[in-house]
Amino acid sequence: MSSATGIRIKGIYEHLDCLLTGIDRLKKANITGWTVMAPLPRHEILEIVYEGRPSPVRWWTLTGAVTGMTIGLLLTSLTNTQWPMILPGGKPVVSLVPYAVIMFECTILGGALFTTLGAIVHCGLPGFFLDKAIQDPRVTDSSFGIVFTDAPTGDQAKIEAILRDSGAVEVTSGDATLYDVPNN
Amino acid sequence: MKDVYSTGEPNRPESYGAANRDIIRVLLKPSAAYFAMLFVAVSMMLFGVWCEYQQIRWGMGVANIKHPTMWGVYIVTFVFWVGIGHAGTLISAILYLVRSRWRTGVYRASEAMTVFAVMTALLFPVLHLGRMWQNYWFFPYPNQRQLWMNFKSPLMWDVFAISTYFTVSAIFFYVGLVPDIAIFRDHSKGLVKKVYGLLSLGWRGTHRQWHHYMAAYGFFAALAAPLVLSVHSVVSWDFAMANTAGWHSTIFPPYFVAGAIFSGCAMVITLLMPLTYAFNWHAYVNIWHFDALAKMCLLTSAILTYAYGMEYFIGWYSQNPYEQAIFFWRADPWADYGWAFYIMVFCNCVAPLPWYFQKLRTNPWALFIISIFINIGMWFERFNIIVSSLAHNFDPATWDYYWPSWIEWGILIGSTGWFFTWFLLFVKTFPAIAITEIKEMIPPPLKGSLEAK
Repeated sequence: MSSATGIRIKGIYEHLDCLLTGIDRLKKANITGWTVMAPLPRHEILEIVYEGRPSPVRWWTLTGAVTGMTIGLLLTSLTNTQWPMILPGGKPVVSLVPYAVIMFECTILGGALFTTLGAIVHCGLPGFFLDKAIQDPRVTDSSFGIVFTDAPTGDQAKIEAILRDSGAVEVTSGDATLYDVPNN
Repeated sequence: MKDVYSTGEPNRPESYGAANRDIIRVLLKPSAAYFAMLFVAVSMMLFGVWCEYQQIRWGMGVANIKHPTMWGVYIVTFVFWVGIGHAGTLISAILYLVRSRWRTGVYRASEAMTVFAVMTALLFPVLHLGRMWQNYWFFPYPNQRQLWMNFKSPLMWDVFAISTYFTVSAIFFYVGLVPDIAIFRDHSKGLVKKVYGLLSLGWRGTHRQWHHYMAAYGFFAALAAPLVLSVHSVVSWDFAMANTAGWHSTIFPPYFVAGAIFSGCAMVITLLMPLTYAFNWHAYVNIWHFDALAKMCLLTSAILTYAYGMEYFIGWYSQNPYEQAIFFWRADPWADYGWAFYIMVFCNCVAPLPWYFQKLRTNPWALFIISIFINIGMWFERFNIIVSSLAHNFDPATWDYYWPSWIEWGILIGSTGWFFTWFLLFVKTFPAIAITEIKEMIPPPLKGSLEAK
C-alpha cells in the first residue's frame, strides 16, 4: 500500500478551458503531484502538462524493432548454417535477399511487442488496485478532473481555492493514506 | 432519415456523454433478429466442424485435392480471408496516419473484421495439412534432428507474415479498445462490470496514460501500415515464386494487394450496412462513409481490371507458349473453368461500375448488393488463379478437373459461420464504434474563460 501521508483532493470540471486554466494556475503556483483525468486525449491538455516532451515509448519501439531485426537475421542465418541445405536454385546457404522478408516481419513484430510493453509500463497498467473515488465514472463520460493523491496538508486550502476559482464544479478532499494511486 | 442519405459528415452528438449513451445502447437485450443471425452463423460453423471431423476420421481422401491440383478450396479460402482482413488495417492504420475523417466511424468494426478474418484464414493451412495436430511443424523450434525450416521458401515467409500480421492487428485492435471498454465498465454493474474492469486493465484516463497511449497508438499505426502492403505481397509470392504458368509474374504483389483492399472494403460495406440500421448508428456511420468505401472499391477495381488485362498482355507479349496457353485456356468460356473466369470478371470489373454514378454509390441497397457481388468475385479470383493453373500445368498427361467435394464446401461454409459468429458476438459485447475517437470529433465543452497560453 501507499506510504502517502497527505490529503486527497479532487476537482471535477465540465469545461476544457476551465481545466486548462486550473492546470496553468497550479503550475504557476509551483504545486506538483496532481493528475489530470480526461475522457479523451485532448492535445491542449498534453501540451500544457508535458510542454512538448515526447513519450519515452518511442525508445521501446526502436529497441524492439532493432531486436526483432537482429533475431530475424540470426534465426535465419544460424539455423541454415547448422543445416546447410544447398537448394537446386543455387542460392548460397546464407542468402540475405530471401531472409530480408523474415527480418522485416521480425522487425515489425519486435517493434509492436516492445511498444505494447512500453505502453503498459509507462501508462501504469494494469491498474486494478486503484482508488475507487479517483476512478470517477464522470471522467470516462464527459467531465474532466484534477486529482491530488498525496497533497501536503498545509497546501489544502490553496489547492482547493485554485481548483474552485478556475471553474471546477465540484471540489472534494479526503484521507489519502488508505489508497495506493500511481502518480505522474 | 435525412442523415442516412446525406453524403456529408453525419451530425455528431452534442456532447461526449451523448456519444457514450448512443454506443452503449448495443449492450441492451439483443433482439430476436440478432439471435436468428447468431443461430444461422453458429449452425454454419457447427456444420463446418462436422465436415472437418469427417476429414480427420476418413483422411484427406474426402477432399478432392489430388495431383495435380494439390491446392484447392482450402488455400483459395485462406487467401480470400487474408485479403478480407486487409481493409481493416488500411482503414485503422494508414487512414489514421493521414488523418482521414471518414475513418472514425467505421474503423473499429473494420479492425474487428480484420482480426476475425485472419483468425478464419489461419484455420485453413491447418485444415489443409490433414494432420492438424502437427501444425507446429510450421514454426521453427529446436528438435533432436536439428532440422530447421527452409527460410528461403515463400511458404515460410508466409508463416511469418501472417503470424506477425495477426499479432500486430490483434494488439492494435485491443489497445484501441481499452479506453472504450473502460467506458463500458463505468456504465455496467455486477459481474459485467468486473469483466469489463479486467479487460480495461484499470484504465482511468489520466494525462500520463493518454500521453503514452497516444504515442504508442501512433507507433502501432506506423508499424501496421507497411503490413498492409507486405502481407498480401508475401501471400502472392506463395504463387509468383513458383515456376507455374499463370503464377510466375512480377505483377502479383501489387495485384494481390489491390485485390485484398478491394474485397476488404466491400466486406466492410456488407457488414456495416445492416448494423447501421439495426443499431441506429446513423449519427456515426452514414452514406458519407459508404460513399468513401465505394470509391476505394472503384479505385482498386480499376487496378484489378488493369492487372487482369496486363496478365493477358504479358502472356501474349512474352511469346511463352505455356503462359499463353494457360491464359487463353482460362478465358475460353467452354473450357473447364471458363465460367469461374467470367464470374470473376463480371463481379470484380463490371459489377462495381454502377458506383461511378453518385446516385447508386449513395443508395444503401445498391451498395449492399454490389458489395456481395465483389465478395463472391474475389473468392472466384483466387479459385481461378490457384485451381486453373494447377489443373492445367505443363504436362498435358497430368491435366485434371478439380471440383471441391461437399466436405470442402462444408468447411468453406463453416469458416464463414466461424467468422460471423465472432463478429456478431463482438458487436453486441464491445464498442463496435470507437467512442473515444468519436469524442475527438465533437467540439470540446468550453466556457470561454481560457487564460492558459
